[in-house]
Amino acid sequence: MSFRKIANLALGASLAFMVLGLSPAFAQVTRPEVQSAPPTGSGPAPEEWGALAELPDWTGIWVNDWIDQNRQRDLNDVPWNAETAAEVERQIEFSNQGRPSGAHNTCIPWGMPGFMMHTHNAVEFLFTPGRITVLGELDGNNLRRIYTDGRPHPDRLDIDPTLHGHSIGHWEGDALVVDTVYIKPQSEIALSEGVGIANGGDMHIVERVHLLSPNILAFDMEIEAPHILTETYKTRRMFFRRGWGPEWDIVESICLEGNFVDQIDEDGYAIFVPVHPDDQ
Amino acid sequence: MFFRMLSAVGLAATMLLSGNTAMAHHSFAMFDVDNRMTITGVVRDFQWTNPHVLIWVNVEEEGEVEPVTWAVEMTSVGNLRREGWNRETLEPGDNVEVLINPLRNGGPGGGFYAIKFLDEDREFMMPRVAAPDE
Repeated sequence: MSFRKIANLALGASLAFMVLGLSPAFAQVTRPEVQSAPPTGSGPAPEEWGALAELPDWTGIWVNDWIDQNRQRDLNDVPWNAETAAEVERQIEFSNQGRPSGAHNTCIPWGMPGFMMHTHNAVEFLFTPGRITVLGELDGNNLRRIYTDGRPHPDRLDIDPTLHGHSIGHWEGDALVVDTVYIKPQSEIALSEGVGIANGGDMHIVERVHLLSPNILAFDMEIEAPHILTETYKTRRMFFRRGWGPEWDIVESICLEGNFVDQIDEDGYAIFVPVHPDDQ
Repeated sequence: MFFRMLSAVGLAATMLLSGNTAMAHHSFAMFDVDNRMTITGVVRDFQWTNPHVLIWVNVEEEGEVEPVTWAVEMTSVGNLRREGWNRETLEPGDNVEVLINPLRNGGPGGGFYAIKFLDEDREFMMPRVAAPDE
């Protein structure tokens, strides 16, 4: 008997008990009276939508400049502290032997700053009133929300740290200045897909995002990570515009797909089956 | 950290060397980007999946009775689609010559660099990865 059939039988039995009143625990539960509060706030006004047309044109699909990524890695040293530098050297040695380390091997999203620094995939930028959303094929179709409605960062206990942190932004001329905090300590500053160091907490990232030319977008980044760096790490990442329209669209990109194979189960359903080293 | 690293590396290496039709490999750091080599053979499978598309190529090697299956790892589905590829661009039985960055551990695999379709006199290089001069 398949797992699906066993699960269906168990569900059926549970429903029968509930319908027939055979479950004393359920019989004693009374649904509390809850009055839903009406929604608060209001949606954007038409002029707020109209104001978006005055912002720089970041539409279309953008791809990172991989060559420049490598150039930054090779020519712009990260100011690691001494302890971290030793670990970086060890990881470089492993990586050169074909044994990469760092979070990139796990399919856990890069988070910040890796999201902007190390992707090899496409991104797009959606402007809506009070917010810019960065959507990508990178990082398992992950996203960044950058709030541009003037809000501050929340108080420490009003937010949980995340891999991408909390980002607020404002425009200075044609440049978007983004301030990001509350990043999980596991988020790495990485040199490559094989060398990455967890920031350890208290990381603060400021990005100045601006067009260098009509189709090249620069992210000038300043990264403070007091547990692993001796000073602010300044670096640039560049994305170039590929185009607009269906032939360039972002597609689904699930990192974990690589850990499964397609199969048809005994009942004829298409399923994913985890790859196992013994499957050959 | 060390155990995690060994686990990840071990699994990835096992997938690569087993000739499996899928693999848990997510880092291009396993490939020696300073070196290139060419393999010539017959496509066994074209695995159109994220995060990386794979070409499995059967290569006749001296001293081997059976062809050796090489795993050639490409970029993502999205990046390849934007270069005009689709899930039927390669089919089992296609004769190909593939330029790769070989695995650092010497196993039968590598990172994709370019391919020549021997039956069609057609070539394709890895997608553009640098901004054009403007």
